[in-house]
Amino acid sequence: MNSIDATLLIWLNGFSGSIKVFDDLMRLIASDYLMPLVFSLSMFGLWFSGKTSSQRMTYQSTALIGISALSISNVVVWLINSLWNRPRPFLDHPDELNLLFYSPTDPSFPANPVAIGFAVAMAAWMVNRKFGLWLFAVASLFGFSRVYAGVFYPTDIVAGALVGIAVYGFTSYLRRALEPLVTMVVRLARGLSVG
Amino acid sequence: MSVNPSDVRNLFEIHYFLFAFLSSLGTLQIAVTSSGIRGLWLMPYRRVTRWLGFVCIITGILVFFGQPLYIDGPWAAGSVQADSTTREWGAASWDELAGARNVNDIHGGLDGVDQAIWFSLAAISAFAVSVVFGALSVKAITKELRVDAKLDDIDGLTGLVHSSYFHNLPISIRNFRLEARKFWRDGVRSADRWSLMKIISGSSTE
Repeated sequence: MNSIDATLLIWLNGFSGSIKVFDDLMRLIASDYLMPLVFSLSMFGLWFSGKTSSQRMTYQSTALIGISALSISNVVVWLINSLWNRPRPFLDHPDELNLLFYSPTDPSFPANPVAIGFAVAMAAWMVNRKFGLWLFAVASLFGFSRVYAGVFYPTDIVAGALVGIAVYGFTSYLRRALEPLVTMVVRLARGLSVG
Repeated sequence: MSVNPSDVRNLFEIHYFLFAFLSSLGTLQIAVTSSGIRGLWLMPYRRVTRWLGFVCIITGILVFFGQPLYIDGPWAAGSVQADSTTREWGAASWDELAGARNVNDIHGGLDGVDQAIWFSLAAISAFAVSVVFGALSVKAITKELRVDAKLDDIDGLTGLVHSSYFHNLPISIRNFRLEARKFWRDGVRSADRWSLMKIISGSSTE
């Protein structure tokens, strides 16, 4: 499995250096700032969307769950990292990879940025299938760019996606257990004319 | 060349705030024009406001990724030797812009917590700007601060469909207080009826 993983990574990363424009595009997408901001903005935009009061209430509750899932994903990834410190691929294969990104110092498995992307995409998908699919595509592209840049193995991306989806499921379950709290937050926001 | 990472971080914080602010403002405008929340429109016209939203987002991206970095830093990932610990620091060239922002947080990049804080501030600022311009937009349409006097009792964002934030806020607070009072009264009554003490002592009539 490890060798298939590494072979796939080396094959994908092997395309880097051929077309500079594509490499630059991948560097932009792989950035620590662009895609995470897109995920945050998607929840911010969702909060203010909805044409009716009840639809807005649903969107706002979902945005809260999405933001919570995003935060919990970070914790879950940190827990997994503390159990298994998988080295980054550029450390395992220094001569075979063309690194397009800085050298991250944290463990490789699972991919944290992908986990948060998938958690947010799941939240969006629950209330609007089209919007959710767009976010899944964006999160997948983010994961692909990180593999292309040589900082994650493909299995890190898959695991990150699974963590994001699972954490969203857990957060939704938690929401049902803590239901009055979510409604209270939304109601408080309405009291300040922002909800 | 040795440069303090805090110099890089300071520059990143300013640029990231502008990026997040403009993108939040743009996203907010697109969302409120599609949901018809007139009290937050930057302009009195839906189509113009929506286009302004797209312009804000693109400007934000250009501000962050499109400007050369004129201070010394580990603008490393534009090259094949992307390791900022070995790469020499220097001003990023136009050619390196795509990867210039890819800087590890230990070398001055912003970590997740920093980004969350700056994004929250930027989103609040974007909302505040929308509130002010929205009030002016509503005023431009109606010559007063609300559109329809019959809809005076609607609170929250639904109320902003018809009125400015400044007009709507006291209504929202009043409604919230009434609802909280009712919730508290009913809650206390139900707690009394179902109180654990009564159940334990067997004195409950339920």
